[in-house]
Amino acid sequence: MSDKTQAIFTGDRCLSCTSCMANCPVMAAIKDYRGPKLVGPAHGRMHFSQEDIETSLEFCSNCKNCDRACPSGVAVSTLNMLRRAEYYKTHKHTQAEDMIAHGERMAKLIRKIPFGATFSNVGMSFGKSLGIFSKLGLAGERDMPAYAATAFKDKFNSIKQTASGKKIVMFTGCFINDNEPQVGEAFIKVMNANGYEVLIDKGFNCCGSPLVVTGYLDEAREHADNNVARILDWKKQGIPVVTPCTSCSLMLKEEYHELFGEDKFHEAAQNVYDAFEFLEILQERGEFNENLKPLNQKLLYHVPCHLKSQAIGLPAQDILEEIDGVKVQTADAGCCGISGNYGFRKDKYEISMKVGAKLFERIKQDDFDKVISDCGTCRMQIHHGTNVKPYHPIEILAKAY
Amino acid sequence: MKTYDVIVIGGGLAGFMAAAVAASRGQKVAVLTYGSGSLPLASGAIDFLNAKAPDAAIKNLPAHHPYKKIASKNIDAAAKFFCDITSQGNLPYVGRLSAQIPIVTAVGTLKYSCLVPESMDASNLADKKKIFVVEIAGLKDFYGAMLVDNLKKYFPDKTFEVTKIDLKLLGGRDITCMDAAQILTDKEQPLANELKALNATADDAIIIPPILGVMGSFSRDVVKTQLKAEIIETTCLPPSPPGLRLQRAFIKYLQKAGVRILENSKVIRGVVEGKKLTGVVVENVVREKVFPARKVILATGGFYSGGIVMRDFDNPREPIFDLPVFFPTGAENWSNQNLFDDKPQGFSMTGILTDANLNPIDENGKVLYENLHVVGANLGGCDKIFERSMGGIAIASAYKGAIL
Repeated sequence: MSDKTQAIFTGDRCLSCTSCMANCPVMAAIKDYRGPKLVGPAHGRMHFSQEDIETSLEFCSNCKNCDRACPSGVAVSTLNMLRRAEYYKTHKHTQAEDMIAHGERMAKLIRKIPFGATFSNVGMSFGKSLGIFSKLGLAGERDMPAYAATAFKDKFNSIKQTASGKKIVMFTGCFINDNEPQVGEAFIKVMNANGYEVLIDKGFNCCGSPLVVTGYLDEAREHADNNVARILDWKKQGIPVVTPCTSCSLMLKEEYHELFGEDKFHEAAQNVYDAFEFLEILQERGEFNENLKPLNQKLLYHVPCHLKSQAIGLPAQDILEEIDGVKVQTADAGCCGISGNYGFRKDKYEISMKVGAKLFERIKQDDFDKVISDCGTCRMQIHHGTNVKPYHPIEILAKAY
Repeated sequence: MKTYDVIVIGGGLAGFMAAAVAASRGQKVAVLTYGSGSLPLASGAIDFLNAKAPDAAIKNLPAHHPYKKIASKNIDAAAKFFCDITSQGNLPYVGRLSAQIPIVTAVGTLKYSCLVPESMDASNLADKKKIFVVEIAGLKDFYGAMLVDNLKKYFPDKTFEVTKIDLKLLGGRDITCMDAAQILTDKEQPLANELKALNATADDAIIIPPILGVMGSFSRDVVKTQLKAEIIETTCLPPSPPGLRLQRAFIKYLQKAGVRILENSKVIRGVVEGKKLTGVVVENVVREKVFPARKVILATGGFYSGGIVMRDFDNPREPIFDLPVFFPTGAENWSNQNLFDDKPQGFSMTGILTDANLNPIDENGKVLYENLHVVGANLGGCDKIFERSMGGIAIASAYKGAIL
């Protein structure tokens, strides 16, 4: 298994067929990027000296359309991320890169200050209007994600749950913990309704996705080692780890192993589930609570790139369609363009909006009641690009219980 | 997990065609793909058979040939359905099965095919007075002088003129036809202006690389209406805009029809109940997932796309259902060392044999799975590249597999 999926062993399978180029949304948006084929599989194998740097590597957003386009199983985008980490061995990170890679650290600092979240949100709107973000190298056009007054993990103990012998551990992900705790609460309601008590593990770190894409690979490895040790510990106790964040689940299930090899990452991955993947497995076993209140809603579903990569079908759509009166239509408009922290970079903002244009156009047709998407940064991008506030599908399902 | 009426494995020409036909008949369909299929690499032309009158020649093929199992009426219906789909995607195709029409390749040879995108139809070239060949500054892999040298061999009495135009594509990576087509989409006017400046008349033709957009015929329509001369696109190296347009026309149709295209979904085996499949198993990086189905269409593309694999010589395998694979035995029959010869390649005959329902059969002719249909390049018994039947077999077998 190791040799099959660890990214560095997949480069040699590249036939240069150009399927990845035909499916790269960044290439379609700009001509500065030389494209996934040349940057990852080709250049990643051909470099022989440290000075030999492919500068257009910075344009890869790690959206993974190339990986899915590849007929030969080359982990194209992960090869790019490995090359990016090499680059930063000899190049300094900017302040903006440090910031967008370390959202978790920042949030923790702010939580230590009384009313820190409120002040910080005020500060962010000032920062935006004064153009400070832009000077730092962040996309000044965007609102930085606002902090929730109380982080999900801090309010967790006060959330009433039905005790149960069946338990799962929720991997909250940074965005749900710090910015959208209501998604976490919906998650608990749904899992409780299905007979599961939800635990959290305060020892988990950020999955590391923002670190990987910003070239902090050593730090990401520390996160991976810590998280995987804890996942394996839960596995021993027979308790699955479930996350409602698709980029977290992809990192835990697949990218750790692609990046770092080692069997422990595969072993741990077997104990990790995307939220709706988990619910669908319950359904297959006949254990899903089908006692759902009708909801009269037409939903437009933006399927996140990082969900498509997981090859688990479209469990959120299938389960929501079990609710009487709910109709789900997929947006079928490709990548939203934000791809984690990519769209937060000042110099990538325009690309990110250009990639998302098709989705924004689709949403502006306004032939639905709500937009749903499993990914937090996709939801931010949709909100920014259309002024329509999207929901996590689990928030819809929670309403039906 | 809901049960699909049809699960199609593979998202190339055959897979998309089968999904489209099934969906048009009101069925709930999913396409499971691993890799984006070969359409972005394809010329866009659909060859049926290299013959003056392909439809007549098909009737004379031996009984084991896939076309004979598909039957002529289905081949005709498939061609019609295909053209309906593309025209719904504003990607008009021209041609018929009773003759072949020429298209110009990137090196200036003529290639003959039955169904070709209207933008590539070079049928009228013989009647033109002057042929302009337009190079684009910065575009790689398109050389006007070479193209003219070769095209002159077909049309020695014609006047040719090679022009290079600058569409300001430089300043970034090396530009492919796909890049140019993407850049020109919705910004066609600079190209139209440059081409107008050639002052080509209604008696002339303008040959350009395939850069008229990546969706349908929208970009072409903008340019064409401003010109008197006929404008003809060539084929190109991949990624190929005409192939991409075809892929996108299919995807648009499928999405509209509610077909799910599930990417990265590698099918590793079927769920078998007696002589039937009740679903297929997808292996993702962590675990397996069953996709239940009433019927399965195998469109994984034969040797060239991993639909058939061969680790040991004389032991080709179909990796999903472990279907028996027909192949020429003995190294001496395996390949013809003259690659561009007038004889077929033995290995290219490798594939799965079926009955008239395209159900896979074993060496005794016994059907293995009653609700599994094999379509496209997986079908064995003929060298589809040599006889130039790859596209025709793909859409015709997909059509039949889907209506059964």
